[in-house]
Amino acid sequence: MVESKSTPVAIAVDRLCQTYPVSFLRLKKLLRRKFKPPVEALRGVSFDIREGEIFGLIGPNGAGKTTLTKIIATLIQPTSGRVAVKGHDTVSDDQSVRRNVGLAGAEERSFYWRLTAEQNLLFFARLHGLGNRNAQRRLAELFELLDLQEVARRRFAELSTGNKQRLAVARALLAAPPVLLLDEPTRSLDPIAAARMRLTIKSLSQTDNSTIFLTSHNLPEVEELCDRVAVISKGEIRALDTPQNLRAMHTAEERVAIRFAGLSPAEAEQVISKSFGPHSLLIEVGSRPDESVIKFTRALNDELLDRILRVLQNAGAVVRAVETERATLLDVLESYEQN
Amino acid sequence: MILLLRRIWAFVVRDWRVQISYRMQFFLRVLSILIIVTTLFFISKIFPGSADPRFVQWHDPLPAWLTGLAVLNYFMTGFSSLANAIRQEQVQGTLESVLMTPIGVPTVIVASSAWDFVQATLFSSLYLLFGWLFFDVHYRGSFLLALLFLVLTTVVLSCLGILSASFAMVFKRGDPFGVFLGTGSALFSGVFFPTQLISQYAGEGVAKVSRILPPTYGLDGIRRVLIEGQGFAEVREPLVVLLIFLAVLLPLSLWVFNRAVRRAKREGSLIQY
Repeated sequence: MVESKSTPVAIAVDRLCQTYPVSFLRLKKLLRRKFKPPVEALRGVSFDIREGEIFGLIGPNGAGKTTLTKIIATLIQPTSGRVAVKGHDTVSDDQSVRRNVGLAGAEERSFYWRLTAEQNLLFFARLHGLGNRNAQRRLAELFELLDLQEVARRRFAELSTGNKQRLAVARALLAAPPVLLLDEPTRSLDPIAAARMRLTIKSLSQTDNSTIFLTSHNLPEVEELCDRVAVISKGEIRALDTPQNLRAMHTAEERVAIRFAGLSPAEAEQVISKSFGPHSLLIEVGSRPDESVIKFTRALNDELLDRILRVLQNAGAVVRAVETERATLLDVLESYEQN
Repeated sequence: MILLLRRIWAFVVRDWRVQISYRMQFFLRVLSILIIVTTLFFISKIFPGSADPRFVQWHDPLPAWLTGLAVLNYFMTGFSSLANAIRQEQVQGTLESVLMTPIGVPTVIVASSAWDFVQATLFSSLYLLFGWLFFDVHYRGSFLLALLFLVLTTVVLSCLGILSASFAMVFKRGDPFGVFLGTGSALFSGVFFPTQLISQYAGEGVAKVSRILPPTYGLDGIRRVLIEGQGFAEVREPLVVLLIFLAVLLPLSLWVFNRAVRRAKREGSLIQY
């Protein structure tokens, strides 16, 4: 979904700092006991997330992702700065924030293991203020949406890890909140279930206009799902943009491999040299006996690829594949970590 | 108010469902109460009517013991269930998901302990019921007045329970109120013997401990009503003392609790144990 400046802000994070204090510091100083310095988990974090946007937060372990998520969820009070969800302050108006937010964490222990999936969700539905009839109707919808009908009457302890994960997402959706916080939503899912979950997340954003704040270590998934991505490292936001722009900022080049038949590497070298003169293209035998490959690096969106394809086709080559390899979010993340 | 009751009911239903998934535990608890009442019946037969005439409530020790145990069970629930509610949710790992719903921390604590009170009511009643049903124990006086003492003392102890829950939130373990009230009440509040014996055998200094424990007044009031058959005018004194406890402890415990919640949220330790 493409966001514009006119779209209302769903989550506003303003100069957010979180320092975990040393417990009983004065007492420890008085008793001259050694103590570790306070931990600065977040340092001046600011950004806005617009309604209907899927916003990804990536960063290594200990970067501050969980702290930030928990502050938005009102579970931690920030040391300074402010977070507002749909205009409600997470400290002074925390109950209103919780009415607007659903959190699906990756923690399995957040359910009652002796109760069934249905009993668990019914309990949380009642805490959200849903009456019996509404709660039952909502549960039926969510079980269908997340393909949990068959395990609804099973005890939570008996569910597979993937089903537990889906139940956590179902719980986050119970009160149909406009803002969803998803912590690694596909972590324990098999590839097919993960793909279904990604479709569900996309449809929540597109059809329900839900705002989704997603943290994940699965970078291809973040690239696929998110409208914008923030890179967090050592408590600071190092970059924030669309996945495409983040990659482009990292490197403006891409690696290209053209696989073709009908010309040997020597013949290809001849026609390329004739058209381009001295060049830095690598021309070699392909993985199949009749196949040749030309490999080169080009600036994004230049005309080199088009020109090479024309030369090859005019010389009688049959182009079988063009493979491009751009910088991934992993490259982006690694570059910020190295700096 | 209806929403609050609905939420409390949700916790009661949840805990009931968890409870019935452990059926054996429930029946063993009922059986153990029956065994305790039967044992006390036989012990009481060692010294029938030999009690000192000063101890009116103890002429037949069986009703005194049964009321003592029933009421102590209830009082301890009032005291410990609030802190246990927080601790149990922390240990299970469910506190975070409960706190993500639009209810306040005080509601979570009160609602989480609601099932404990339901259970305590049932088990405390069983002490009295088994005594009446199998061992011919009769109670006199107004049950309503006894109930007033029970509720008032439980509320006072719940204030101490709120202080205890505050400790659980900040220190996680090591609760001084638990040590003091848990071991202190059985010894100093007159559950198994008259409190006057403490001053006679241990001195006036030690006897003062029983006077600063709210259960002493609650238990005395309930026994005066149920065993001696006293009316409202005669039990005013322990009632007033309990009201003074309440007036001091209620605002203090709420103030400490708010500070503890704020501190735990700032440190990010609310869900840790």
